[in-house]
Amino acid sequence: MTEPIIEITNVHKRFGHVEALKGVDLTVMEGEVIVIIGPSGSGKSTLLRCINRLEEYEKGSIVVDGIPLDTNQNINAVRREVGMVFQSFNLFAHLTVMQNLMLAQTTVRKRSKEEAEKNAKELLEKVGIPEKAQSYPSQLSGGQQQRVAIARALAMNPRVMLFDEPTSALDPEMIKEVLDVMAALAKEGMTMLVVSHEMGFARAAAHRVIFMDEGQIVEEAPPDVFFVNPTQERTRLFLSKILHL
Amino acid sequence: MEQQEKNAPDRELSFVTGGEVNIRQDPWWWLVIAVIAIIVLLVMVAPVPFKEIVVFARSGILVTVLVTVSSYFLMLILGLFGGLGRLSKNKLIFGISSLYVEIVRGIPLLVQLIAWYFASPVAIQKIGVWLNFAPLIEYRANPILTAIIAITVCYGAYMSEIVRSGIQSIPKGQMEAARSLGMSHFQAMRYVVLPQAFRVILPPMGNEFIALLKDSSLVSVVAVADITRKGREFMSAHFNPIETWLMVALLYLVLTLFAARIVSYIEKRSRHDR
Repeated sequence: MTEPIIEITNVHKRFGHVEALKGVDLTVMEGEVIVIIGPSGSGKSTLLRCINRLEEYEKGSIVVDGIPLDTNQNINAVRREVGMVFQSFNLFAHLTVMQNLMLAQTTVRKRSKEEAEKNAKELLEKVGIPEKAQSYPSQLSGGQQQRVAIARALAMNPRVMLFDEPTSALDPEMIKEVLDVMAALAKEGMTMLVVSHEMGFARAAAHRVIFMDEGQIVEEAPPDVFFVNPTQERTRLFLSKILHL
Repeated sequence: MEQQEKNAPDRELSFVTGGEVNIRQDPWWWLVIAVIAIIVLLVMVAPVPFKEIVVFARSGILVTVLVTVSSYFLMLILGLFGGLGRLSKNKLIFGISSLYVEIVRGIPLLVQLIAWYFASPVAIQKIGVWLNFAPLIEYRANPILTAIIAITVCYGAYMSEIVRSGIQSIPKGQMEAARSLGMSHFQAMRYVVLPQAFRVILPPMGNEFIALLKDSSLVSVVAVADITRKGREFMSAHFNPIETWLMVALLYLVLTLFAARIVSYIEKRSRHDR
């Protein structure tokens, strides 16, 4: 954790009349794992999607790894460095697991087929499902699909990984297998921004927990401080609701 | 995920039925064989006039097939661009493709054919006179070429809407996932969205082929010697409308039923790949 890798300054975003982000500032250090929590509609997913420009923002600036998100060329450059995992997996339905992992490697990174395949195999090993290489996404369970989606993002050798509610669409018994992969990734020193309400993961793996509400960052602190001693009333209220205490 | 679950039973079914051209797996082939048998029977039992009609219409069958196949492939290309244009964020491209679709869909194909054949050459000649450019002044319409252009333009508009709806049926997340991996819009379309949209629009594409085959009979009004025109010529020379139109109908039926089997075969195979 030496240098900042993402610098978000005063970002504003609106959907029609709704202001989704009202001036968000956030600096993420290299190797840092940040978990973002907050009620639905608080702007946490929107913030994540702004970092790789899946959403445009009206005001403010985002710089990733020294590259400002302005021109189309820079946006594509940032997307190559930033992997994203979606709530609904979004695996390419017409391709096998192997092809899902190879497509962007060959078309974007311009790797040879052999190299891409070797990479893909290693990553499937890493997420624990090498035997599913030739399966189609629809033949996999939700947990397996999400692990493939993580492997697909990792295949691009990103410097940052964004997780947008990666376990929200999963059956309870499949959540752990996905969180285990994410925890292992955190241990390796990957920079991660995770929108999730998995408090166990936040406690175990996060360096910082951020609470967002109404388009703003309300509170941020290391997990041991955040969960035990939140300073803001809104944070306390929210935690009391999700921790069922 | 919801969509993937819905697709699952289809896939299982396709493993059972397989995709080979096999009468046992696709009993509708018997209908094609039955119609061919009726034609052969008629030709053998009553060579006059049935054999005469078939021999006379032989070149017309080739013309019908030529016009159908070439306008079909051209209109697929036009429809792809029209469909992409209908989804474009560029207002000019969107405007032009929408205008094209709306206007062409609102005019009967027969009227379009007649206009292309009778009105457009005159217009071109007038432009030639105005520019004083000899090749344009002497322009004469080529019937088959004009017919292919007219059908392509007309069916391209319908195809544009099929392509548009096919692309729109693919969940937005597919495009977002592709873009998040650093693919350009073009790459995401080419490798992720269009291959999936293609499977969705395969059945309507097959319908379009059969509809186009039947509509190709309209070209007979613009001096193209297709099956229908050959039938009309034969009838006016021999005064036997019942036999002539029975045979013409049977010839079209063989072509459309055969095409329907091919379409069904391609559909089954594309599901099999999945």
